[in-house]
Amino acid sequence: MSEHESMLKMLALAAAGALDEQEQRRLDQHAAECPLCRRELEIWGAYSEGLGQLPQPAIPSHLMERTRARILQERAAAADRRWNDLMVAALALFAWTVGLSFWFLLRVFSGGALIVMGTNLIQLGTWSAISTVLVWLTAAAAALALGKRRRELRRAL
Amino acid sequence: MILAAAMNPEALSGAEDIIAMMRRGDPDALTAVISRYQHRLYRYLLRLVREPATADDLFQQTWLRVMEKIGRYDARRSFEAWLFSVAHNLAVDLWRAKHGESLDSGEDSGEPAGERLACGDPDALEQLLDFERGAMLAACMQGLPTIHREVLTLRFEEGMKLEEIADVTGIPLSTVKSRLRRALEGLRTALEARFPRRRGA
Repeated sequence: MSEHESMLKMLALAAAGALDEQEQRRLDQHAAECPLCRRELEIWGAYSEGLGQLPQPAIPSHLMERTRARILQERAAAADRRWNDLMVAALALFAWTVGLSFWFLLRVFSGGALIVMGTNLIQLGTWSAISTVLVWLTAAAAALALGKRRRELRRAL
Repeated sequence: MILAAAMNPEALSGAEDIIAMMRRGDPDALTAVISRYQHRLYRYLLRLVREPATADDLFQQTWLRVMEKIGRYDARRSFEAWLFSVAHNLAVDLWRAKHGESLDSGEDSGEPAGERLACGDPDALEQLLDFERGAMLAACMQGLPTIHREVLTLRFEEGMKLEEIADVTGIPLSTVKSRLRRALEGLRTALEARFPRRRGA
């Protein structure tokens, strides 16, 4: 490839200001002696200038306000989700605390034995099993209710 | 104060302050930043996807993603380049979902358009200057592959350096250069095909 041909390939990038110093110097030297490349460079320069002056699109109405509202809604929904998660955790802890306290009181007042259908409910193992089942059932009911609320919120968004 | 600054974004004290306020979830800082970049970001997205409704949705998604990730934004990086790279990635995801392929696969790998160009054609320049140059170029640009429209708008409308374009698009600097050259040559080919030279004029 001749010097002229290789310079021709660089002209578009030159007009875009994308040549490095060395390439630019080489091109300048060549263009000083080559009218064809000077003319080409002029044409590419016109393209370059034209691309900087393209018709500008109009911004859709209230785009900023709609975007801001969507972000704030999304943020509120996220805060709501965090609050719900916190509430479920707090309720579970509360249920365990109530269960344990109730077991302790029953144990004190019943003298250590509360027989129902041949099973001593005051035994720690039995009481824990019953408490666990009840806590999980409550948590499942709460999760279902919160999930329903989240779906409604998402639909609203 | 920030609301007043939002009306005149250049009056904002500094990008770092605004970023810090955004991290704290300040809605006024958010308004100021959206206001500052809305025209440029929307223009970039519209050049990329060509459909106003899609650009509108991507614009909103970009800001949602920015607010989600602002905590992880590295302040040493240009905020502008980061913002446009978030928009770029969302546009790429949309493109993949719609077309099932990467944005880059649309690149013309054949003979460079420059090889097909006629040299030293003064008519192209004259026509370029005679007619509504901007509208003609915009119309021809519409027909270019997405990746070529993207580098052209980032370079000539956003005035980004090649390094910044590489950062936004996630491609090497050498690819940015070759893509830019192909895009310009493709644009010229399209313009000359659309407005053929006037013989004997």
